[in-house]
Amino acid sequence: MKGSFWRKAAAFGVTALGLATVQSAAGAAEDTTIAVSIPAADHGWTAGIVYHAQQAAKEIEAAFPHIKVIVKTSPSASDQASALEDLVASRKVDALVILPYSSEELTSPVKEVKKKGTFITVVDRGLTDPTIEDLYLAGDNIAVGRTTADYMKQALGGKGDIVVLRGIPTVIDDERIKGFQDALQGSNIKILEMQYAHWNSDEGFKVMQDFLAKYNKIDAVWANDDDMLLGVLEAVKQSGRKDIRLALGGNGMKQMIEKVKAGDALTPIEVPYPPSMIKTAIYMTAAQFNGQAPIRGKVKLDAPLITKENADEYYFPESPF
Amino acid sequence: MTAVLTANGLSKAFGTVSVLNDISFDVRPGEVHAIIGENGAGKSTLMRLLAGHAQPSRGGLELDGQPVSFSGPAAAEAAGIVLVHQEILLAEGLSVAENLFLGREMVRRGIIDDAAMNRLAAGKLAEIGCQVSPKALVRQLALADRQLVQIARALLVPHRLVIFDEPTAVLTGGEVERLMGIIRRLKDQGVAILYISHRLNEVEELADRITVLRDGQMIGTFDAAGLTQADMARLMVGRDFSALYPEPLTPPSVTTSAEILEVQGACVPGFVNDVSFTLRQGEILGFAGMIGAGRTELFEGLLGLRDGYAAALRLNGRDLRIRRPGDAIAAGIAYLTEDRKGKGLLLRLRLAPNLTLTALSWIHRRLFLDKRREAQVLQSAIDGFDIRVRHSAMLAGQLSGGNQQKLLLAKILMTDPKLVIIDEPTRGIDIGNKSQIYGFIQKLVKAGKGCIVISSEMQELIGICTRIIVMRNGRVSGELSGGSMTEANVAMLATGAHDLHQSQNHNQPEPSRGPMVAVTTGPTLDHSFSVQGAMQP
Amino acid sequence: MTIMTAAGAGGRARLVPNLTTAGPFLALFILVCLGYLMNHDFLAMSNVLNVVTRSAFTAIIAVGATFVISTGGLDLSVGSMAAFVTGIMILFMNMIAGDIGLWAIPAGMAVVVVAGSLCGLLNGAIVTLGRIEPFIVTLGTMGIFRALITYMANGGTIPIDASLREAYRPIYFGAIAGIPVPIVVSAAVAILASFVLYKTKFGRRCSAVGANEDVARYSGISVPAIRTAAFAIQGLCVGIAAICYVPRLGAATPTTGSLWELQVITAVVIGGTPLRGGTGRIWGTIAGAIILEVIGNLMVLSDFVSEYLVAAVQGVIIIIAMLVQRLSK
Repeated sequence: MKGSFWRKAAAFGVTALGLATVQSAAGAAEDTTIAVSIPAADHGWTAGIVYHAQQAAKEIEAAFPHIKVIVKTSPSASDQASALEDLVASRKVDALVILPYSSEELTSPVKEVKKKGTFITVVDRGLTDPTIEDLYLAGDNIAVGRTTADYMKQALGGKGDIVVLRGIPTVIDDERIKGFQDALQGSNIKILEMQYAHWNSDEGFKVMQDFLAKYNKIDAVWANDDDMLLGVLEAVKQSGRKDIRLALGGNGMKQMIEKVKAGDALTPIEVPYPPSMIKTAIYMTAAQFNGQAPIRGKVKLDAPLITKENADEYYFPESPF
Repeated sequence: MTAVLTANGLSKAFGTVSVLNDISFDVRPGEVHAIIGENGAGKSTLMRLLAGHAQPSRGGLELDGQPVSFSGPAAAEAAGIVLVHQEILLAEGLSVAENLFLGREMVRRGIIDDAAMNRLAAGKLAEIGCQVSPKALVRQLALADRQLVQIARALLVPHRLVIFDEPTAVLTGGEVERLMGIIRRLKDQGVAILYISHRLNEVEELADRITVLRDGQMIGTFDAAGLTQADMARLMVGRDFSALYPEPLTPPSVTTSAEILEVQGACVPGFVNDVSFTLRQGEILGFAGMIGAGRTELFEGLLGLRDGYAAALRLNGRDLRIRRPGDAIAAGIAYLTEDRKGKGLLLRLRLAPNLTLTALSWIHRRLFLDKRREAQVLQSAIDGFDIRVRHSAMLAGQLSGGNQQKLLLAKILMTDPKLVIIDEPTRGIDIGNKSQIYGFIQKLVKAGKGCIVISSEMQELIGICTRIIVMRNGRVSGELSGGSMTEANVAMLATGAHDLHQSQNHNQPEPSRGPMVAVTTGPTLDHSFSVQGAMQP
Repeated sequence: MTIMTAAGAGGRARLVPNLTTAGPFLALFILVCLGYLMNHDFLAMSNVLNVVTRSAFTAIIAVGATFVISTGGLDLSVGSMAAFVTGIMILFMNMIAGDIGLWAIPAGMAVVVVAGSLCGLLNGAIVTLGRIEPFIVTLGTMGIFRALITYMANGGTIPIDASLREAYRPIYFGAIAGIPVPIVVSAAVAILASFVLYKTKFGRRCSAVGANEDVARYSGISVPAIRTAAFAIQGLCVGIAAICYVPRLGAATPTTGSLWELQVITAVVIGGTPLRGGTGRIWGTIAGAIILEVIGNLMVLSDFVSEYLVAAVQGVIIIIAMLVQRLSK
């Protein structure tokens, strides 16, 4: 049931392209290699990336025997750059799907790959030179903040006092906060305070405990990542306070989706920045090599509101995230 | 002639312990002024004050009649006062020239000028009769050559006063002669010399005037011409030598006295080669030898403190196998290290934890510490060994050297050992404590314990031991007892008298030439005999 | 110099307040006063209990670190080790929860204590048998433990079985006689540890080894055995801390315990234990752990500091706390 979207899509792909594949395989028997370069799993979201990339590889190789998908994880930007060199040096790579550690450091290594005629798909973090990419697919961090704020305005009736937990000072964090603040403008919702909690559950717990000690009345709390929300929820539960009406997160962690599905009062909605975007990107790239489905350009995934009604679509029970 | 440097009432105290009290003297150009005194008399402290390594607590210095105060050794050097240290303070991994110029390297256009430094170094070394190449690594040099390099380093700066602090401690006869030549030449150049030593023969030979220190007090400055070595010794000690040592023990009979320790074929790789000996009940066995002869290493090897092995090791007739230091202690062997501060006591801890450290399981029979028992044993150690303490909470490092040594002796005896090995029993301690420690050692033997004493002080061994084994280059070079225990014989066995110059490389055992019997005495030895002769009743 | 009398041999030093040990408590007192001036809610009972409870993990682990540091060692692996043994504990409890129900919780506690001790023993054995600097050894095991927990969690979370979650919660959120359980546990650990360090032969040997390895060796003490035991105690403390940690968030993740090693070492040093070894101050360490947590709490409760500068102010306060400690000597 769950995740059946992709299975259906894959099955559809097999039936639709099956004939063409058989023909082309009979004709040239030319194998295609897609390399996927992603960060190693070191927290929930990257663990989701790894999981979805590996799922995509399995499904595509099963559906299209002539396509080989190599997934390579790297624990740092410099490791990722070396991994790219090794990938291209040892074999012919027809396409590269990359979620770069950082834009600056990986731009020229990817450019080198591009020079060999490889199709380049960039995911999430863009390179500094956008002419390198053939396909760019990303989530929208500003929209993550905006969608959350829009829901909050409506749910709180346009006024209230809230606190915010931010992650680590980076572009992602800044964009989410900016989208959130911009969307709140004009309303009577007041941000009492923001603190960094390093996208970490333990830090989230501590900061929320301190917010609760400092402010007698808090209407809502937003943690801009679900890991921190885990800690926030424990702190709220421990305090026994009833004034908090909403505790929202972001990213689409499976425990939070479960809450949404169950109709939780504190966390009734979720805003995705789904790690499954890597899977989408790999599928779109694979489509290049099955008959004619040329794709070029930029794809920006929206950050739609996940509610009880559509939660199933975003629920991956097998994923670690 | 006016004095180069004058000391006016110099005093130095560390905390409440006074090490120097009201010392006044002067030193003039072209004069060798000797400072003599026993170990612990305060000679080295005095030198450190003069050379700017330490500041006096009271009193002051005058340079050419003007009051002066040195903020550090560099300031003293700038005034032309250089100190040749007692210990070898050279960087072993650097070359001779690099050591000579360490901290004052010559540069040419911002780059170290090795060629110029090597040239100058070669000249300076030749001047003092040292044959080593400026490019040789200090690590490869013999001890005596290192001493010469150190002297060359001191003489490299413009100097008006050169202070030699026990320069002959590591030198053999011929090398001592060469050093004396260097000093005489300096003197002829009009340089003032302060010569610190307790070797009276050297002092008699060199000095124009002599200042005597005893227990940090100034005894007086004398013209060397009117002073015999016996006079000097009496002034240094303040009483006859004989009073320092207890009544000699009667050596036990070889046939009736039980063997306490038997060692056969002991080896410590790199230090000791095939040493065998026995210790009988009732005797104090001494181990003599030069620095590096392997005495300390022999016992550390036997007791599991460093790698070593023996064909047989028997205590009271029973075979022992010692793998770790704890095994030796459990078997009833106590070892008092020569390195009191580095390996003997925890200077930052109080007295009681120090006293009971070896014997924790003896004193505290239960799981937790018995603080009352600990206080009791501390009190009885303080009483029994006459340890002078201000209060029980003081740290071991705050005791004077002599009291530290008595605490250490008490510490190793806490386990009630059958055999006690004491390495350098009186190093760096004052004369009163020395005498007490000799008494304690005799008491141990009278109580039936075996006792071995390792010492670099020949007089000490002769004064308290009933028998002396002399080591050289990692082997036993001879054994002395009764009337044959003289400084001459010990020195001869220790240095291998006929080949004095080959005995510098102490670390590599060479085939033993067997016990030396022939007596060929150099001038150094000759003089020390006469001291001994004069002092012994 | 006077010769001491028998009466003085006992406990004269006890009567004089020892200023060297008072430093960290003085620093803590000053911080608390400042905190109260900045925000009166700071001394509200709930806030005080929250902060002290939060400091419990650091405190418990830092008590173990006091042993390691007083013997002249250092353990950088404690944070990763905490994550690793927490993961083992949760996986073990989840595995057997279906068969033995709530008994899985005490069984899990036993497992995590043993696992922690073994990890510590491993650190100690490598240090002593391999004769490698503790810094390097534990830097290595830090990476190993961290990688193992990441592997076990597939990079994600290892949550505790839902059937155990509620039953286990009181170990963090519950209270005994009004005092939160983690505070009780860390006090018990500290009392036991100070007994071992100050009142037993083993404790005496620990400080001897740290004060001067050679003296200890020449006194017949087995230096490797003492060192290894100190690392094992450190591991044991990590295991105990994990017991209190699991119920808080009910999960282990690859980021669990990240940078705890620095918190722990800072707590020990603020507490007055010198890094060169030879002395261990258990209660100072506890004060140090609380100081660190109070600083974090103050940063949120006061309004002076921009969120961007929190880390800088924390650093300044830690240095000032050290100075207060130094000057009180």
